[in-house]
Amino acid sequence: MAQQEDDASELQAERSLTMSRAMVEAIAHEMRANDEVFYMGEDVADYGGIFDSTEGLLEEFGRDRIMDVPISETAYLGAAVGAAQEGMRPIAELMFVDFFGVAMDQIYNQLAKNTYMSGGSVNVPMVLTAAVGGTYNDAAQHSQTLYGTFAHLPGMKVVVPSTAYDAKGLLHNAIRDDDPVVYMFHKRLMGIGWLPAPDGPKTGVPEDDYTIPFGSADVKREGADVTVVTLGLHVHRALEAAEDLADDGIDTEVVDLRTLVPLDTETIRDSVSKTGQLVVVDEDYCSYGVTGEIIASVAEAGLDDLQGVERVALPDVPIPYARPMEDEVIPGADDIVAAVRAVRGET
Amino acid sequence: MSGTDDRVAVETADRWPDDADEDIGVVVNWFAAEGSHVEEGDAICEFQVEKVSVDVPAPATGTLAAITIGEDEEFERGERLAWLRTA
Repeated sequence: MAQQEDDASELQAERSLTMSRAMVEAIAHEMRANDEVFYMGEDVADYGGIFDSTEGLLEEFGRDRIMDVPISETAYLGAAVGAAQEGMRPIAELMFVDFFGVAMDQIYNQLAKNTYMSGGSVNVPMVLTAAVGGTYNDAAQHSQTLYGTFAHLPGMKVVVPSTAYDAKGLLHNAIRDDDPVVYMFHKRLMGIGWLPAPDGPKTGVPEDDYTIPFGSADVKREGADVTVVTLGLHVHRALEAAEDLADDGIDTEVVDLRTLVPLDTETIRDSVSKTGQLVVVDEDYCSYGVTGEIIASVAEAGLDDLQGVERVALPDVPIPYARPMEDEVIPGADDIVAAVRAVRGET
Repeated sequence: MSGTDDRVAVETADRWPDDADEDIGVVVNWFAAEGSHVEEGDAICEFQVEKVSVDVPAPATGTLAAITIGEDEEFERGERLAWLRTA
């Protein structure tokens, strides 16, 4: 992991990419290398994906391989599952993860379970990409992350990149995986003009292909005093909080999970054994989700290491449309600073 | 173009969207840092006019000597965004 970070920072001076461009580069590479790879979704062809996830691919690969689909998630996700079982390697996009509901049978009963239900006679080498996250006033049905929902259901690997470098390596790994992978990209990290990203997700990205294995969390910032475990957009909010805290002499470690399934509990536990203090930050709903799972995994295996725990997550409410109200419920860097102080017993 | 032979301006006039009424653009992303090597034709930055994004290719192979319009900065149609050094 240290090697990857070195490579990334070394290349920063040469070429930086936004997260969306890094994803497109990985997709294009895999499509050139393997004719069975294709991409389908709503507005992925002429529009290039409403969050730029397929920008420019139609020109190179044409409409047989970059396919706009009718607005029926059940129909096209079902078609993708079938194509995968017949030996193709589809990438199918949910325009917003919030739309999973109408197609949930295709996702959690077919995509996730058909390998098991067929006694291993078929496998489903499919990637389900989905735009996730709020912070831009798109209201309760277009702003969720739903990390916990997908990670809860067995049979799918769940990937959540936070930088362009990670996004490319994880997407290469996802497309080459012979089993279903759900790849959840945060809209705020893509680097789109109308939805500006924070500093951080745009990184140096090698032009050649490379893979980042699943189940390997990345320590984005080393620190001795407190462990912050998070993912996606909130990696960057945690890093911002860590900078603030450093001014007061509090040394915060930031662990980026990168994948929820498989979960790298070893990196989390190693960090907590060093710091003793655990803060878990999640943009998904608080109850029955990522925060509880991470804390439980540490408590089960290393309770003696754990001196304090805080969680920072979305309250269990629909995400409001109004900007001040949305800002209130989605954790900010200031909320993370407060949680770190609280876990240390400062008020 | 510049007054010296080895400097090449990164211009936007010929990249401006044909149907744009607006004469103000905003630089959204730089993909190369000052001092880095760029190849002719590589997208080195992206600007936006009326929510339309446009890539700006490097006009020559060389070094990105100076960025004159940074990320999130607005500029007027015809303004140059950067200088390349080709020598």
